[in-house]
Amino acid sequence: MLAATFGAVPPQSVPESAVSLSVPGKAARPREARRRRGGREGGAITPYLYLLPFLLLFLVFVVYPVGYGLFVSLHRWDLLAETRPFVGLEYYRNLFDPETPQSQFFWNSMKNTGFFTLISVPLLIGASLGLALLLHRPIFGRAFFRSVFFLPGILTVSVMGILWRWMFDNQIGLVNAVRTDLLGLQPLPFLSTEGLAWVPVIVGTVWWTIGFNMTLYLAGLGNISQSYYEAAEIDGATPWAKFRFITWPLLAPVTLFVFVTTVLASFQLFGQTLVITSGGPNRTTQSTIQYITEEAFSNNQFSSASAMAFMFGLAMLIFTYLQFRIMARDARGEG
Amino acid sequence: MNRTLNVTALLLAAGLGGVAAAQTQTSYRGPKVTLTYLHGFTGADRPVMERLIAQFNAAHPNIQVRGQAQPWGTTWQQLPSLVASGRAPDVVVINEDQITNFIARGAVSPLTNAELQSAGISKSRFYGPLFKTADYEGKSYGVPISSVAYVMFYNKDLMKKSGVTKVPTTRAELLAASRACTTDRNGRKPGQSGFDARSLNTWGISLYNNWVGSRLAYAAILQNGGSLVDSKLNASFNSPQAVEAVQFLVDLVQKHNVARANSTEEAELAAFSQGKVCFFPSGQWYTDRFEQQKMNFGIAFVPRIGTKQDAAWGGSSHMTLPRQRAGYDANKRRAALAFVNWMTSPNQNLAWTEAGSLPVMATVANNKKFEGRPIAGVFAKLGNIYATSGFPWGGQVLGPFDNAWANAYSGKQSVKAALDAGVSEANKQITQARKTFQ
Repeated sequence: MLAATFGAVPPQSVPESAVSLSVPGKAARPREARRRRGGREGGAITPYLYLLPFLLLFLVFVVYPVGYGLFVSLHRWDLLAETRPFVGLEYYRNLFDPETPQSQFFWNSMKNTGFFTLISVPLLIGASLGLALLLHRPIFGRAFFRSVFFLPGILTVSVMGILWRWMFDNQIGLVNAVRTDLLGLQPLPFLSTEGLAWVPVIVGTVWWTIGFNMTLYLAGLGNISQSYYEAAEIDGATPWAKFRFITWPLLAPVTLFVFVTTVLASFQLFGQTLVITSGGPNRTTQSTIQYITEEAFSNNQFSSASAMAFMFGLAMLIFTYLQFRIMARDARGEG
Repeated sequence: MNRTLNVTALLLAAGLGGVAAAQTQTSYRGPKVTLTYLHGFTGADRPVMERLIAQFNAAHPNIQVRGQAQPWGTTWQQLPSLVASGRAPDVVVINEDQITNFIARGAVSPLTNAELQSAGISKSRFYGPLFKTADYEGKSYGVPISSVAYVMFYNKDLMKKSGVTKVPTTRAELLAASRACTTDRNGRKPGQSGFDARSLNTWGISLYNNWVGSRLAYAAILQNGGSLVDSKLNASFNSPQAVEAVQFLVDLVQKHNVARANSTEEAELAAFSQGKVCFFPSGQWYTDRFEQQKMNFGIAFVPRIGTKQDAAWGGSSHMTLPRQRAGYDANKRRAALAFVNWMTSPNQNLAWTEAGSLPVMATVANNKKFEGRPIAGVFAKLGNIYATSGFPWGGQVLGPFDNAWANAYSGKQSVKAALDAGVSEANKQITQARKTFQ
């Protein structure tokens, strides 16, 4: 919300005096310099001591597991095995050898996850912005509708998954009941048809998570000063022009935040497809995390699963890097 | 006064007698030990198990068992590290889909014939295939405590309405009865002109696309003399017998129109509850549900779809003794075996069936308590139930098998192509898994 406020104020409009007031004056500098020189109030090591608790947690919960995972991925590893021979990059090579099931299923799951992200992210941003615009206006029952759209988000993924699996059941689902009984159409086997199986997953996910993004957008909208709209109205701006030239640019920081969090959440697709389609039919909705879980806990191939997790992590890292590059450019461009 | 004394004396004598009887029953007479017992009975079966443990502790002053219930999946993930670090519980219950894998990885210890004998555990007490579920390479590793099975529920009302008087037990009877049960929205029967297979009003048998649905294909394959894996433990569910058996099931949908295409377990369960389908093959665990609904239903063994033998899928839980660190107290192992013996004895197994399990031995199945109950319909053939165990790569075989069933049933692939693809995928994965066991 703070970011939204500052983002909404174009830098050139900030008066000089405000800037000089908010920056510590020259008077502060000698005191800092003295502290640095004296060293009696705390040695050079002091800041690191303050960082130590976090460093310990970081080492125990991030560095150690990552290092151990890397070790596992380079050995034929099983806790119960007497020997755990070093196999180098064998499990990484498997991912690029078209003869192995891993190369087939891993890249298939990456493709599925990418497809899901590509479809669900624009929907989750567009629909939540639309809802926020509708519910920002003082309409009757506004608070009620805001709660209604936010409520699905408090459900667990299993509840949400079972609900949407029932809705889209091939035979007894509500969607097919409407198709056959009201519209006179043939039922569609959503859950067992390649392609169609994505419909319940994506519709369910949008229904489930839209409220959170909507709330962020509502907060962003609340921070846009009405004076811009009043000025635009005096100039005779159309509603579309007001949205295009006032609302959308001033929501840019919120949109960036929503975009980044939604993309990361979409890449972590797991529960929805697990419950609704169990990855089927024919692994066409199997997410990468689901496949890694299968390889580790159903096939007991822990090393192979670790190698895949590292490849997946690498892909996420590259993606996040690109996203930050674009973010930085946008932040510069739009202030 | 005199009477009271007499009663007290009687009670005392009875109590002493009881203790004496309990102590002669057990094989363990060593110093007092405490055992940890890890199991996954966390649902409605948990209080039943806890009651049994309390009874055992009361009757065995020198063995104290501490039960610990946690979800099965957690145990599968924790057991390797517990065993590797020498902190494994003294007794662990392992299910049929995991047990061979844990045996092959050395997580559980073999139970020698001498040990079993001195603990009073006789293999012949249990159903043969059930006990063998925890065998591997000629050794026994677990004693069955709990069992579930694939059965065929039938709706008596719909059968009567359709003129079916006998529960089908053969392939021909199953097909004929299923035809009789099938009508489309306009009341036409399969084969009549104008029959619309896409909008069935009632139908013969429930087939569906998930792993439970694929267990009917498993039964049919075994009945036909086929198997999931061959003698070298490679996947072999595309043998001619297997293809023939699965083809019959797929034909029920595609050729005979007596089952719905593209259906799910939920949809078929609802249809059976609503009286729309005559035969619903599934896990016996739905029995309670249908009894509570006051349905007029029966339970039969899966009909003979194949030509060689009776067979159906079963799931089971086995009490095992994990591998322990060097220097593990031998008294504990003896006490653990005494506990296993007690828990898998007829009286305890009878009590355990309250939790929804099938009897694990014929003695219990013959108990009067079951007379007239629907589930008793399968008791004569509990010795023909076979778990998907015996190969250490359960996931590698069953994943592709279930997928092959889904593809054949939906008509995405021919039966042969689907099973061939499944076997090829399974064998690639098995080749990789073998390296872990060298």
